[in-house]
Amino acid sequence: MTKITYYFTLTLFLFAATLVGQEETPKEKEPGHTNQSKFKQLYEEFATPNTYRSASGAPGPDYYQQQANYVMNIELDDKNHKIYGDETITYINNSPENLEFLWVQLDQNVREKDSKARLKNGDGVPLAYRASTFNGKFLNEPFDGGFVIEHVKDASGKALPYTINFTMMRIDLPQPLKSKEQISFSIKWNFNIPDHTVNRARSGYEEFADGNRAYVIAQFFPRMAVFNDVEGWQNHQFWGNGEFALTFGDYDVNITVPADHVLDATGTLQNRKEVYSKEMMKRYDQAKKSYDKPVIIVNQAEAEEASKGFSDEKKTWKFKAKNVRDYGFATSRRFIWDMQAVKVGNKDVMAVSLYPKEGNPLWEEYSTKAVALTLKSYSDHTFDYPYPKAISVHAKNQGMEYPMICWNYGRPNEDGTYSDRVKYGMISVIIHEVGHNFFPMIVNSDERQWGWMDEGLDTFMQYMAEQEFGEAFPEAIAPNNAYPSRRGAPSKIVPYMSGEQSTISPIMSNPENVYQLGPNAYGKPATALNILRETVMGRELFDHAFKTYANRWKFKHPTPEDFFRTMEDASAVDLDYYWRGWFYTTDYVDIGVKGLKKYYVSNEPSQALKDAVAKSGQNVADLPPLVHLIEEGSEDFDPKLKGKSPSENSKTLKEFMMDNMTAAERSAIKEPKYFYEVTYDKPGGIPMPLIVEYTYADGSTENITYPAEIWRKNDKEVSFVLSSQKELTGIVIDPKAETADIDTTNNAWPMKDQKTDFDQMKEKIKG
Amino acid sequence: MKYFKKTLLILLLPLFAFAVAHKFYVSVTNISYAAKNDALQITSRVFIDDLDELLKERYAIEAKLSTTDESDLADQYLEKYIKTKFNVQINKEDKSYQIIGRKYDNDVCIFYLEIEAIDLPNVKSIQIRNEMLTDLFDEQQNVVHFKINDKKKSFVLIKSDTKGMLNL
Repeated sequence: MTKITYYFTLTLFLFAATLVGQEETPKEKEPGHTNQSKFKQLYEEFATPNTYRSASGAPGPDYYQQQANYVMNIELDDKNHKIYGDETITYINNSPENLEFLWVQLDQNVREKDSKARLKNGDGVPLAYRASTFNGKFLNEPFDGGFVIEHVKDASGKALPYTINFTMMRIDLPQPLKSKEQISFSIKWNFNIPDHTVNRARSGYEEFADGNRAYVIAQFFPRMAVFNDVEGWQNHQFWGNGEFALTFGDYDVNITVPADHVLDATGTLQNRKEVYSKEMMKRYDQAKKSYDKPVIIVNQAEAEEASKGFSDEKKTWKFKAKNVRDYGFATSRRFIWDMQAVKVGNKDVMAVSLYPKEGNPLWEEYSTKAVALTLKSYSDHTFDYPYPKAISVHAKNQGMEYPMICWNYGRPNEDGTYSDRVKYGMISVIIHEVGHNFFPMIVNSDERQWGWMDEGLDTFMQYMAEQEFGEAFPEAIAPNNAYPSRRGAPSKIVPYMSGEQSTISPIMSNPENVYQLGPNAYGKPATALNILRETVMGRELFDHAFKTYANRWKFKHPTPEDFFRTMEDASAVDLDYYWRGWFYTTDYVDIGVKGLKKYYVSNEPSQALKDAVAKSGQNVADLPPLVHLIEEGSEDFDPKLKGKSPSENSKTLKEFMMDNMTAAERSAIKEPKYFYEVTYDKPGGIPMPLIVEYTYADGSTENITYPAEIWRKNDKEVSFVLSSQKELTGIVIDPKAETADIDTTNNAWPMKDQKTDFDQMKEKIKG
Repeated sequence: MKYFKKTLLILLLPLFAFAVAHKFYVSVTNISYAAKNDALQITSRVFIDDLDELLKERYAIEAKLSTTDESDLADQYLEKYIKTKFNVQINKEDKSYQIIGRKYDNDVCIFYLEIEAIDLPNVKSIQIRNEMLTDLFDEQQNVVHFKINDKKKSFVLIKSDTKGMLNL
């Protein structure tokens, strides 16, 4: 039966094509053009593979990366909110090149008094200023928060010449650092710590009414810039939006703070017995065995008691961290502290939370729970979390990530009440920031250049983890049936992608140069990956490829191409059109049903065919025996054709069947009664699979997904011939809203009175 | 004027960014036509936290929108605010609209406004003045999309340029 349908369409199509060709009037020759196909391979956009980075997307045979090991002594001056540091960096040049100088990052200089970052945006006089804006702009002295570099010395104590250009410091070496050799040098520095609740700085302190501060300290020490095969030195300045590009290394860090502070940081604590009280040690030992709920290490009463002290004594906390790209710590007298163990693979990891009492009751309930779930969920989708712990610290307005430690917002009202928005905002930000341990702390992409590589992948993973959180703790999300994720579901990106083109940028843009960083680097790539997983590739192929990428590049420095290539390499799905549409352009998805024509089999040629034959100077009688299809409602349509089978209507077909089939075969055939030509159009630029639900007169439905490749020869329009036993009564495109189609008013035939969101609202209100 | 618009857009990038949710002061309004009751239907998506801040600053109301203890005053004052800041003109004459209602979607509040029996064949122009939140945020952007049958037009309205018009 399928065979016959095929025969019909083929004959008709071939014939029509030749005749139409003759019908065209000669016109002027069009000029040529370059290959504009959306399906063109991305050879021009992608860097050429080489021995450092393979065409497969894996690290090549000559892949290398530098290493920077740090030994640091840090001291916090709580009274004056200043920080002092003395660090020795051992830099190992694994590259094949000799380096005549080194670049070191001085991120705090973004906050120096005369920082160029304050001048990075043009402005004009608005109709009015808010008082606080006016104050910050015209009345206040800018905060002086840049680095003071006391000295830079080589291993023998001799001063090394250096030049500071804004947030980058070049250290000139007396002799080039040869390939495969290493150098040690030390830097002594200090700076004023900012109040992070002003300007939403990523690092700083929050001061409370009782005079205590909670510090969350990061990008606080001069850090080696990345040198690699892609950028050479990545010394693009830190302007505030583009985050960090950092080298892996081992850290040996001593941090001295007031004796009544508690502190946690990247790495394994080396002198726990010196800095913990006996009671804390006892609780810590319990926490190591508690897999189902956190154990409080410092409770609220103890934190409140400590907050009265303001000790002049000091205490030094000693940490070691292996193979991390950065370092951060949090310290205060006011922190409440809890921990629990999480089984990841065959290893125990500690999930840890630090929060001032202002975070409660929300934080004791959900923080460590969210950390534990994140470690499990992300490990399942990538690799087992390799570090010994993950800490979530509560800092007002903050959401920022470092290896093993991150700062998160989510603060209840003063009376302890909180809205769902605050609760879900807090759980989501914890999942997101703890999740950043995987991207970019371990799969160490260059954030300074590609914000989406860590933010987009992490937001995608966050969406999966949030949904898993909802499944794991249904009581925590009640009365919702699923976790209310802000980003990830296709429908959530529609307002952005249908937005004004002058305020949107392709995902493949530097984070400093985009208008809306949130949807651009977080929401859109996360949605693109979610659609790729659920609708284009399917979970099995996607998950394997995504895992392959994570494992190929863990503890390495991937580029966007390494990701794009690996996803194809491990799945055999050609995705160039998908990367091009979603990542390289601001195109959007919009596919519609353009029209439908109904046909009947006939013995008589259609008027159109007769006209075409006459025009070509031939005679209708000369045509070979053919099966004809006549459009219902056309001038040559005969209502008598209705209700009969094709072989009753067409002698040609009847004879063919008699000649080529046995009586048994003929009676076994169920001839289709209905023939349609359906045309779909695509006003949107992104080619996507065409997902169609056909409904028939008996109420049954049939779902067909045509692959995105149907758009490869005609990007605007495509038609299909359908044959069926049953009358077609309805067509809906993308019935489950899987593709982020920005305009669904053209998604149905007949153009039925779709119940819009607006209608539903009206019904609800008017009851 | 065009230059002015651009500089304001660039101003939207705050000096020190935020790693999770970069705050972008924007609302999105869709204006469409419903043939069955010859109505202009308007949906406007506005961030809940911005509305909370607005009600606090402008009317001294702790609205706690989208919470179980949302203030009873919220509806009344939001309605009052919208009526002042959002205006529709058809054929250059003010048209009053009905606020059908509002609902929450994650961190966004969606308002539903409607003008029935507009007599579309005789509509020459529709103008929107949208000043929502520009009293609170200098950098507020109100994006307005018109889609009346096949006619589409979009505007990014800002504090110094609050009107957009579609000619039919």
